Amino acid sequence: MLRSCAARLRTLGVVCRPPVGRRLPGSEPRPELRSFSSEEVILKDCSVPNPSWNKDLRLLFDQFMKKCEDGSWKRLPSYKRTPTERIQDFKTRFLDPKLMKEEQMSQAQLFTRSFDDGLGFEYVMFYNDIEKRMVCLFQGGPYLEGPPGFIHGGAIATMIDATVGMCAMMAGGIVMTANLNINYKRPIPLCSVVMINSQLDKVEGRKFFVSCNVQSVDEKTLYSEATSLFIKLNPDKSLT
Amino acid sequence: MIRRCFQVAARLGHHRGLLEAPRILPRLNPASAFGSSTDSMFSRFLPEKTDLKDYALPNASWCSDMLSLYQEFLEKTKSSGWIKLPSFKSNRDHIQGLKLPSGLAVSSDKGDCRIFTRCIQVEGQGFEYVIFFQPSQKKSVCLFQPGPYLEGPPGFAHGGSLAAMMDETFSKTAFLAGEGLFTLSLNIRFKNLIPVGSLVVMDVEVDKIEDQKLYMSCIAHSRDQQTVYAKSSGVFLQLQLEEESPQ
Repeated sequence: MLRSCAARLRTLGVVCRPPVGRRLPGSEPRPELRSFSSEEVILKDCSVPNPSWNKDLRLLFDQFMKKCEDGSWKRLPSYKRTPTERIQDFKTRFLDPKLMKEEQMSQAQLFTRSFDDGLGFEYVMFYNDIEKRMVCLFQGGPYLEGPPGFIHGGAIATMIDATVGMCAMMAGGIVMTANLNINYKRPIPLCSVVMINSQLDKVEGRKFFVSCNVQSVDEKTLYSEATSLFIKLNPDKSLT
Repeated sequence: MIRRCFQVAARLGHHRGLLEAPRILPRLNPASAFGSSTDSMFSRFLPEKTDLKDYALPNASWCSDMLSLYQEFLEKTKSSGWIKLPSFKSNRDHIQGLKLPSGLAVSSDKGDCRIFTRCIQVEGQGFEYVIFFQPSQKKSVCLFQPGPYLEGPPGFAHGGSLAAMMDETFSKTAFLAGEGLFTLSLNIRFKNLIPVGSLVVMDVEVDKIEDQKLYMSCIAHSRDQQTVYAKSSGVFLQLQLEEESPQ
């Protein structure tokens, strides 16, 4: 069960943010947002160009931003950490309250955002609701190495999981990875840009089937293909 | 030529009829995967003396379960043929003097590169792990403790971090058991969430070596075996590294 659930929660938190001043039922009053620098880091949207983005990534980003103009595509913002109220919401609904560990929360970061600019995962996701497609533009930095000069298979798996997971979440709300099946066709060179193209194939009750492929920018090279199964969480059943 | 070679190799799983492969692939003598070639691979992989920092050693962030299980396996390295694998900051450090087959090797002008599973170097924050390998049984055990920077669902490890640890354990096992170099496929069935900071024990076995591919399986579970976190299988491609040409 699992995964980039927090990432999805984070995104949902912005896409469906309640109007300023209104609280989610049952939550504590939000402390006033003061400009502590750590607060700014947490709230910084990482899915926008920064100096580490190479030419290919910027070009693709611009192409997809153009596609957003008519509303058919949406760019998903992405944050280093889940806002506190979303964490509490997740834990209250799905976890055994006796197991909630307060002290871990202060250090935690979303895995795919635990790096300084350009060193790890640089990515942005775009979603098309009509086609149920999630596209992730991904540039893997030097801290993601596997075979010398290439991205680690586990780093590729992480980005695939994040992308197909987000695709499932848009359709199904809070979901967890049940199966992930990846075929690696060609190794991906370090610091290159790839497109992870995912598609919701089928929904059966609480099961969401998502597939994806990983291609080069010019779509001429197929790096990997994957299929996955996500399960929509049952709020009546505890995860722990 | 090598690009076509790699394509053929990658398609081996799908088109078994395409056995022109042995002609095109770099010389691969199945016999050399054992015996003296393994010895030389081990001695390069496990240097007796090195200035490189070994990250697969206990530190203050290791939980008590991890420390005690580590001690148990350390005993097995003395008595029953297990080997503790060192873990350096970069895979390049593990294959000094060797390089990927020509055609696949890329210019290493990327500055500071790190192996993904050692990407976060602050003690206890990222991947804390150590791998023990049993050469004659072709088995590995990885003790893995995910830190708070590996978070996915609040309080739990990101699925990608477990996938990465499985891929990495498969990778080192495949390399030492039979010159496995690249992941061909990874199939993971997730069962339960892993709380950040807890110990995951991963048992890996080589199931078979066939058609220049290594087939492995893994079960990730809690120390007491009461909770299964995930099960997976992985297939790796056999490819021989080449000597680096003297500069």
